[in-house]
Amino acid sequence: MFSGAFRERLFEAWVEIRENLGRSTLQTLGVVLGVASVLGGFSISDSQRKRSDERWVKLGGMDRMSVQPSQAVKDGQPTALQNANLGLRNEDAVEGEGLGATTTTGVSQERRARARVRSAYADQDRQITGIGGDYMALNGYTVEKGRGFTAEDFGDGRAVAILGAESASTFFPTGEIVGQTVRVGDIPVVVVGTFSEKVFRFRENQGNQFWWRNRIIAVPSTLVARRMSGDKWQRVDRVVFRFKDLNVMEKFGDGLSSLLLGNHRQQEDFRIDDIAARIRKRRSQGDVYNMIFMLSGILSLIGGGMVNVNIQMATLKERVREVGVKMAIGASGGEIFKGFMTEALLITTLGSVVGLLGGVAFSKVITSFLQIPLFMQPVSFIWAFVLASGFGFAFALYPAWKASRLSPMEALRYE
Amino acid sequence: MTTDRPIIETAGLTKVFGANGTAVHALRGIDLTVARGEFVALVGPSGSGKSTLMAIIGCLDSPTAGTYAIDGVMVQGLSGSALARIRNEKIGFVFQSYNLLPKASIVRNVELPLLYAGVSRKERRRRALELLEKVGIPEKANVLPAVLSGGQRQRVAIARALANTPALLLADEPTGALDSKTGEEVLGLFQELNRQGNTVVLVTHDPHIASLAQRKVELRDGLVVSPEQKAA
Repeated sequence: MFSGAFRERLFEAWVEIRENLGRSTLQTLGVVLGVASVLGGFSISDSQRKRSDERWVKLGGMDRMSVQPSQAVKDGQPTALQNANLGLRNEDAVEGEGLGATTTTGVSQERRARARVRSAYADQDRQITGIGGDYMALNGYTVEKGRGFTAEDFGDGRAVAILGAESASTFFPTGEIVGQTVRVGDIPVVVVGTFSEKVFRFRENQGNQFWWRNRIIAVPSTLVARRMSGDKWQRVDRVVFRFKDLNVMEKFGDGLSSLLLGNHRQQEDFRIDDIAARIRKRRSQGDVYNMIFMLSGILSLIGGGMVNVNIQMATLKERVREVGVKMAIGASGGEIFKGFMTEALLITTLGSVVGLLGGVAFSKVITSFLQIPLFMQPVSFIWAFVLASGFGFAFALYPAWKASRLSPMEALRYE
Repeated sequence: MTTDRPIIETAGLTKVFGANGTAVHALRGIDLTVARGEFVALVGPSGSGKSTLMAIIGCLDSPTAGTYAIDGVMVQGLSGSALARIRNEKIGFVFQSYNLLPKASIVRNVELPLLYAGVSRKERRRRALELLEKVGIPEKANVLPAVLSGGQRQRVAIARALANTPALLLADEPTGALDSKTGEEVLGLFQELNRQGNTVVLVTHDPHIASLAQRKVELRDGLVVSPEQKAA
């Protein structure tokens, strides 16, 4: 792997490091601290980011775009044009899906209503979520017991419901749930299934951030439209598209925007929410943290480098004599230079290895303190190592050059 | 390699320190020839220029003017690394203050010149141990210089000087830091090495030590005075 001469030099450097253990340890310390702080900083910020990505995945994925009605109010009063608008309609969803027929992999509509919900055990005012299309997949719900909605359920607007974990335990604290009936307003609705409980805690000691998602009472959107809060225009409260490829989202978003503006008399009474773009933005904010961490790592490396130079100065007398003796017995300036640099290389490498281990330990402690899982990227290791080697070498160059330029006579006489 | 070629041959060697007004003329034209196998003592009071001459002979310093050839190699105008090579291959230094690396073991101190000569690790170790045996302290190979007595340290330094079987052994006050009994022993070692065919140049201010040499070269004010021949 290495040439014989280099291996020999490496061995000599190792012997020298062992012979001057105190000096070498101090020199290594600077590298260790720098590497540990770069790696630790990166890993903590990566772990935090990864955790928030995981949250999006649990919410149904990042590759989504949602459209919601929104007020385009100017000066406190809705414009006449907006008043004449019908809001977000099922037609918008259908046309939008047509627009992205080759790029979308799913679309869902949501139509909400409020109603009094009654069972033998509870009587509460609840939000009813009318779902359509691929709602469950796009929002990360899975059926735990019973079944999901069939095409007939959707098509006929049948009075069937799937309950979230919290709703299920509220309305049916004991006994079999599937097959029971709840009254939603005046409509008797048959519970055909339940959703698995959705849990996400950013930190382990925090509350469940998804608790409200367990309160869902899902019925076919057609049921809501026909028998609860529907109208002949088939207004909807939310449309969500899912994509095969994150890269097409922006283009689709532009197309969707102009399509909807056309349908809505050029009034922007809707809001398109590109979740991938939002996450990208968060990521770029995360990059700022990475910069800060890298900077603090670089500062510790510079500090370490200065410690290094200081040690070189403090041991100058000893080193100059040493160099003088070596030159007298036949070491050339180049030999001395290479010797110093090999020593620096070895110290940097050893320091980096210790520093990487230290960085892993450091990140582990901090993330367990924050109660989030540790996530480390190989690129963080590479960065930490590259930075440490770069600075290690840069700070070794001057003493090495200086030593190699010593005149043997003066070095021998140095007091 | 012919045996009649001199080990040291200088002509008009001049060394000036400083410049112009403050210039100090340490050497004012030295013509000196040392043949192979000689034991020469370089004597003179301090300030006579003997240390400067020794540095130039040892290729640690270069002359301001004049020529110098060691074992037939002219050294003027040679690069730093070429001089280092000559020091490594042709000269063995023994200093008054030993100049051993304090943190390296004895055997490693002896190995160093072999390292710079590119000798393999195994061979280095073998030869260093052999040399330590030759100077009479084979059992101290793995200790640090600090635990040795002055005489033992000087023996290590001599072993190191002999490592690459140099053409010239150059000793600068080798007994200066030793008591007289140990000094005698070290001088005895030099005489023994000389009898084995090594060329020795010994710098001293002690007339007794100088009297042990075959030839005495006396320096005064940068010039050689009375190069008297002594019976062997």
